[in-house]
Order: sequence, then C-alpha cells, then structure tokens
Amino acid sequence: MPQSRDLTRGLEQGFLDIKDGLKVVVDPLTQPLSWALNEALWLMQATPWWIMIPVLMLITWAVSRSVKLAGFVALCFGFLAFIDFYDYTMQTLAIIFVCAFICVLFGVPIGIAMSRSDKVQRAMIPVLDMLQTLPPFVYLIPLIFLFSVTEPKLYGIAIILYAIVPVIRLTDLGIRLVDADVIEAADAFGMTKRQKLFGVQIPLALPNIMAGVNQTIMMSLAMVVIASLVSAPGLGVLVLRGIRSLELGVGLVSGLGIVLLTIILDRVTKAALARINASQN
Amino acid sequence: MTKEPKIAIRNLYKIFGSDPQSVLPMVLDGMGKTELMEKHRHVLGLSDINVDIPPGETTVIMGLPGSGKSTLIRHLNRLIDPTSGEVLVNGENILDYDEKRLRQLRQHEMSMVFQKFALLPHRTVLQNAGMAPAVAGQSERAYAEEARKWLNRVGLEGQEQQYPHQLSGGMQQRVGIARALTSNSDIMLMDEAFSALDPLIRTDMQDLLIDLQAELHKTIVFITHDLDEALKLANHLVILKDGYVVQQGEPQDILLNPSDPYIEDFVSDINRARVLRVRSVMAKGEVDDAAVVGEIDANDMLESVIALSKGDTGLNYAVVEDGARVGTLHIKDLVRALVPADRPDEGERVA
Repeated sequence: MPQSRDLTRGLEQGFLDIKDGLKVVVDPLTQPLSWALNEALWLMQATPWWIMIPVLMLITWAVSRSVKLAGFVALCFGFLAFIDFYDYTMQTLAIIFVCAFICVLFGVPIGIAMSRSDKVQRAMIPVLDMLQTLPPFVYLIPLIFLFSVTEPKLYGIAIILYAIVPVIRLTDLGIRLVDADVIEAADAFGMTKRQKLFGVQIPLALPNIMAGVNQTIMMSLAMVVIASLVSAPGLGVLVLRGIRSLELGVGLVSGLGIVLLTIILDRVTKAALARINASQN
Repeated sequence: MTKEPKIAIRNLYKIFGSDPQSVLPMVLDGMGKTELMEKHRHVLGLSDINVDIPPGETTVIMGLPGSGKSTLIRHLNRLIDPTSGEVLVNGENILDYDEKRLRQLRQHEMSMVFQKFALLPHRTVLQNAGMAPAVAGQSERAYAEEARKWLNRVGLEGQEQQYPHQLSGGMQQRVGIARALTSNSDIMLMDEAFSALDPLIRTDMQDLLIDLQAELHKTIVFITHDLDEALKLANHLVILKDGYVVQQGEPQDILLNPSDPYIEDFVSDINRARVLRVRSVMAKGEVDDAAVVGEIDANDMLESVIALSKGDTGLNYAVVEDGARVGTLHIKDLVRALVPADRPDEGERVA
C-alpha cells in the first residue's frame, strides 16, 4: 500500500523536476510585476506626506464627490502618521494599488470571456472555486520554490491569485444580468458585437464590476498580512512582529491600522459604486 | 393586392427544439403541433406563414399570447432565424444576407419599438433617440438635430438631457418611437408597443401613431393581442392562432365575414359601431335622390352615422367618396351589421 508520504514526496519531486523549466517561462513573464511593485513602493514612500495626503484626498473626492469622505481619509492617514505608521501604511497601500490594478486588468477580460461562452464559464468556475478556498498559505509554498524570497513578485502573485476571483465572478455575473430586452434592442438597431460590449454590456454591468473591484481590494488587504511571511513590506510586517515576539501593543495597533485602511478603501469604492448606480436607476 | 409588397413572408416555418431540421420534413408533410410535441419533443412555433405586407400602410398581426406573433415579427429583422421559408424585403431575401448587410438593414431600413421600451438606461433621452445614427458611426452633434426634431414631434420638448428612468412609462415609449423615427427607416416594427401602458396613455399613443402615420406613410408592422387596438390601427389585419394564420385581410372584411369560429368568438365582443365604416355596409350603385335625406362620407364610422340619424331606422343616406356618390346606406342595414351574422345562439344567450 502506498502511503501518503509517498504521494507527497512524489509531488514534491515532480514539482522540483519541472521547476527549472517552469521558471524559464514564468520568470520573465512576471518580471514586470516586480518592477511595478518596486516602483510603486518607491514612489509612495519618496513622495512627502504633504503631497501624498492631498493627492489621496483629491482621488477620493474625484471618485466619490464627497468632501466628508475626503476629510475622513485625511483624518485616518493623519492618525496613522501621528503614531508613526505612515511609511508602513504607504507600503501596504502601494502593494494594494498595484495588485488590485493588475487584478482588474486581467479579471475583467476573463470575466467577459466567461460571460460570452458557457464553455469558458464551466471551465473557469472550478478554478475560481479552488483559488478562493485554498488556504492562502498554500499558494506561497510552490511560489517560494519558483522565485527568490527577496523578489516582490513572489508576494505579488500570491495576492493577485487570491484576490482576482471576485472581480472575475462579478464581471461575468454583471454582463449576464444585463437586461435581455436592452440587448435585443441593441441587436435590432444593428450594433456590432464590439459596440454592444463597450456601449451596452460593460456600462450596464459596471455596478457589479465595481462591487467586484471592492471585494478584490478587500481580499488583497487580507492577503497582504499573510504575504508579509514572504517579505512583503507594510503593516503586515508589524502584525507579524507582534505575533513572533508577542508584542501585544504593536500587533493590536498595526491590526487597527489595517482596519482603518480597509475602511477607507471600502468607503471610497462603495461611494464610487453608489454614484454609478445613481446615474443608472 | 395591387402594390408590390414591402415585406413578403413566404412559407415560413419555425420549429423550436434540439434539432429542428430533422423534424422539418414531418411538419411539411402536415404533422400537427400536438403530435410533434408528443412524438419528437419539438415545438412548432410558426407554421406555413404567408403574409404580404403592403408599403406605406399599417399591418397589424394579432393573436393571443403564445400564438407566435412576437416570434413572427422577430423574423422580419432576423432576431430569430426561421427553420424554413423566406422573408423578402423590397424583393430581396434577407436570409441570404451576411452579417454586415444584415446590420445595414437593421440600421437603415428597419427600426423596432419594444413592449418594455428597452432604452439604454445610461444614455440620455437624446442619445437614446439617436441610437440608429450613433450605431452607424455619427457623432452626437451630427445626429442631435434630427433626434431633437423627432423628440419634439412625439411631444418630448425639453426632455433631451433627462435619463430614461426619470420619465414615465408613456414618455419612455415616446422616446422608443422617436428612436425608431430618427433612424429614417421605411419600416417600423412594433412589438406590443403599447401593451405595457395604462389604458388612457395607450389611447394617446395610438392617436399619436395614427397622426404620425397619416404624415409619414411608413410601413408599420404592429403586434398586439388587443382587438380594439388592432382594429383602430390596422389597414391590413393578420390573425394568428397557434402559429398559423387564421385569416388576413381588411379589418372590416374580417369583422363582417369571419372565416372561422375562432375569429367569430374573437370579434363578438367588439363595439362594431366604432370600428365599421360606412363603405363596408352600404349598398353600392345608383343613388335614388328622392329616398335619401343627406350625404355621408364612405369612411365615416357607423357610430357617427347613428348619432346623425338620431336612431331613426327608416332613413337612408347617400354615400360620398372622393366627391362622387357611390352608394346608399340604409340605417336598417347599419343596425343589422351591428350584431354578428349567423349567430343562432344569440337568442338563447339573452334568455
């Protein structure tokens, strides 16, 4: 009788055997992710706070048109700066921005492909289910074998794999939920598939797509703490320090920092979503 | 029919199911709807439809829900493709069209008005009205004038920058009609266009359509399940039942000479005085000047003649069409025409 030990050892050996070949392909493909993360980290930290906070307030106002929310954002960052967490917060924010952007960049087209073909949808759903339910630590193991722990793309990939699922699902759902009567009207007036996609389906699916973006950002925030195990900088590092050396205060305060960041990103994306909804219904 | 039909539907069959082509020969051999469903699990949607749609007139296709009328109208712009048969528009079989030519047909030659309006919720009223030119690639500035003209014509002045959800149902459907008119197509397909509206607004919209039609002479194909609406709008009436044409022709003829018990039933509850016109019940031929008390127009409704005669059944009127006297209307004949012919059970019903 083969034992589980044989299975796990076999898997490990198999992975190690293909590792070098895989690395030749994957390494250059994912290199831009490392660059993007490095650049974003550098930019967010090099920019002085008196430019950064107004810029963030301006972005908040641009997407939500709410002065109150912009003020809230300034207050939160001010507080985090006050307790000397500003740099850690900016690192986390930089990682979130890059990863969420890449999730949308790939997730929306994948979602569109799923909405257009039942076959693609049937093939993708188990993959998405697996990505969503696999314990996040498990992604890290093969990635550590593939890349060096010092490379940012290691945690970048882990975050993206974990966080991309909702934006894909909700893009697919959103496009499938577009009113069939409106699609019929688009056909009856002779729209091409392209015109239909960009002129009707995506705009009408936008509330769902935005809800997906919101969820994607939330999930990347959850993952950013775990990713600090493989050298992701930011607030996660502090959480980890709190756990490792049982520094209760550091752990709690950095946890609170992540909560604040989560609330900001959630409120801002939800306000943007509400604006889209208001213009449609 | 003297004029060339604008749209001609020839031997059209539509079968729904997993493999319609395999059961088509059996349907062509005359297998009925029930047998097809029981033996082969296919639904016979439309069966041997032959309809000529004359240019510049309103053709109403009427039937109960499930009679296949919405399926039929979608064959005219190929939102649904038939299992067998031809659809000729201006003499060309549109089933031979490739995708590009078909889009051209839909953009320039046919427009459609929908039961549930189907406006784009994220576009303004003006952008919705200009959908056809926008699809063809025109900028908003290029089509704005044309779109505004038709929006004004359907009574939506000053609403251009509103969004559809800010308008009531009746106003939304006005946008739908303006959208169809802005495409400048000869043919307008209207799929239960007024069925979702309140009765009063529906009457308004019917009057609007009649006005527009008197001015524009489009070829309108109008789908409805409402006989009153059908009789009000139709120049040519097609009655559909279970996917086949029961009777088609001038509405007056159908009302006076129903070919089938189904249609008799259908027309029995109609206020005939409001539908029938003088020309359908008059006696044609020389007019005896001494016997008539006045002149009426051949296209007057019987209702207005009854009002004119004050209910006196002894009177006769001379009927005038295009300035010439073409016949005589005896009020007695008029009264007789108000109840359906050959209804032996009529007396029992009263008792």
